[in-house]
Amino acid sequence: MKLQSFKVCYIVFLVLILAPVSSFGKTIPLNRGWITVIIDPVFNGEPLKMADQLYVNEHGDTIYIDLFRFYITNMRLSSESTTVSDTVSHLVDAEDEASATFHINNVPAGSYTSLQFTVGVDSITNTSGANGGDLDPAKGMYWVWNSGYIMAKLEGHSRVCKTLHHAFEFHIGGYMPPFNAARLVNVKLSHPVVVLNGCNTIVRLKADVAAWFKGNLDLSKLNSVVIPGKEANIIADNYAQMFSVE
Amino acid sequence: MRIRTLKYLLPLLAGMFILVLSLGSDKKEEEVQFVRPKGWPKPVYDLSKNKPTINGFKLGRKLFFDPILSRDGSTSCASCHTQWSAFTHVDHGLSHGINGLKGKRNSLTLFNLAWNKSFMWDGGINNLEVQPLGPITNPVEMDNTLENVVKKLDTAKGYRARFFLAFGDSGITGQRVLKAIAQFTVMFESFNSKYDKYVREEPGGEMTEQELHGLKLFRKNCASCHKEPLFTNYAFENVGLAVDTELKDYGRMAITHDPDDSLKFKVPSLRNVAMSYPYLHDGRFRTIRQVLDHYTDGIIQSPTLAKEFRKPMILTDQDKTDLIEFLKTLSDKDFLFDIRFRDWRD
Ligand code: HEC
Ligand code: HEC
Repeated sequence: MKLQSFKVCYIVFLVLILAPVSSFGKTIPLNRGWITVIIDPVFNGEPLKMADQLYVNEHGDTIYIDLFRFYITNMRLSSESTTVSDTVSHLVDAEDEASATFHINNVPAGSYTSLQFTVGVDSITNTSGANGGDLDPAKGMYWVWNSGYIMAKLEGHSRVCKTLHHAFEFHIGGYMPPFNAARLVNVKLSHPVVVLNGCNTIVRLKADVAAWFKGNLDLSKLNSVVIPGKEANIIADNYAQMFSVE
Repeated sequence: MRIRTLKYLLPLLAGMFILVLSLGSDKKEEEVQFVRPKGWPKPVYDLSKNKPTINGFKLGRKLFFDPILSRDGSTSCASCHTQWSAFTHVDHGLSHGINGLKGKRNSLTLFNLAWNKSFMWDGGINNLEVQPLGPITNPVEMDNTLENVVKKLDTAKGYRARFFLAFGDSGITGQRVLKAIAQFTVMFESFNSKYDKYVREEPGGEMTEQELHGLKLFRKNCASCHKEPLFTNYAFENVGLAVDTELKDYGRMAITHDPDDSLKFKVPSLRNVAMSYPYLHDGRFRTIRQVLDHYTDGIIQSPTLAKEFRKPMILTDQDKTDLIEFLKTLSDKDFLFDIRFRDWRD
């Protein structure tokens, strides 16, 4: 990977030298690169497999995961002098790799020490009517009878759930205080993200499903949360802790 | 040379002028110009983000009348919202939809929707654009999904071209379906009743003595909730109705989970109220007089009862008759018979 980015830089370097020759007078933004953030769904650190892979949660129950989706909004990186951001809301779906890759373009070269984003959708977007793209209500992440986005969804099954097909479902949302399920996440960076001129820097994050079951969450008692409220808030506090840098 | 040009130009100009005029008059019935009547508050709905255009309005109208929105193609928006009753489900206590399944609530009237702060009797829906998701996905209304509606429209005859005309792109998305319906329904504006003309001191606004007495009683007893000019303050109130033991509908509380909201329902606008029977959230009364009899004699005390009803409301039989005569002046024929809102099958 290091080698790859070296190659990219080399080509960019050549382009930079040759560019003035081929295009007189055109301005090239100098000292800029870009950042690609990739989020990998995992369970206890291992790549997440759906449906027939068995996992054990903190409470000690065996579980299977059937669906895992969440919104990421306003991803931003800050260096000492500047902040770059991608303000769009993205729907990350564990079953769609492409959905988990974000690009922030035109990033001033520098050393970025903080990475922040919101899991979920901000309250203004929740009340602004029919949105498009990943926010299109046709994506199935929207509540109809009590309007608002489902910020994150986790569905699966476990023998301990005395429900139809032993299913558990967490559809977590709500934008009106005190039941706002959007969570601001500050990812701890072990070392700064360095952006070089003309280079793409890749940041890989893990989103760990195991974090949803923190606090010894007992699936035999709590296995369906589909409205805003206290329980949704508890789970939102949990998923706020699911991210780490690889 | 100059004269010669003029000779050709003049008839040409005249011809164009006539053409433009005739086109203009042709378009009259298809004008879509949202109006904020003088003295009315600013609309809540942000029209700048979804400004109605002729083509968007027509697409919305087609969708409103098209049963394609329901799973089995049986039910359209218009099935439960008919124009001459101010777009409510007239004569149906509890509106029914697909397979004749009954819903839990009486249909609401649809007009002046741009001023609504929230939608439905419990205010659970927060924006006009996302409101159609309610009926589309309700198992007892249209029982469909938006994903499915988009797929069906994509293959249905004529829709892609209409989406192109409305949005400059033939791609059909959930967002565009919803925006188009909103462009149609936001144009349901009612502000030309006899009462409006009376307030604006226009011809046709001459009120009788009886109606004026009704207006006076109205301003004293009713206007705190049914506030002019929209005839609602958009609040949620408990008007002391007995809970229906079968429906067990506690209204606003289902949305906020706040016990203080128990049994509260949205204050409905009283414009066109003479046309929109039956009344109240579960359609329990067939006449306005029954509603008034409830207000004077039927109030059931409970912790969340509106303060206006904590002590008895006193209205004589004659008062009630006069109030009803006044409420009839809120019927707006311009709106109820506006041909733009008919099913044009175009
Ligand atoms: C089966 C009957 C039925 C169908 C079909 C139906 N509605 Fe309704 N509509 C209702 C009922 C009942 C209510 C009140 C519901 C409530 O408060 O829970 C309502 C409420 C509304 C409201 C809210 C008005 C307000 O002031 O809050 C709007 C807007 C509306 N409908 C538009 C539509 C549109 C657009 C469609 C088609 C996509 C549609 N309806 C289809 C029965 C229906
Ligand atoms: C405390 C606020 C309040 C006051 C005061 C009030 N109303 Fe109402 N009104 C409501 C609410 C809330 C509803 C709907 C209640 C429900 O369905 O549960 C309603 C419903 C109605 C309806 C039925 C409308 C429909 O479309 O179903 C009529 C008619 C009506 N009111 C007339 C009046 C008149 C006339 C007065 C004065 C004598 C009055 N109201 C005073 C709050 C109020």
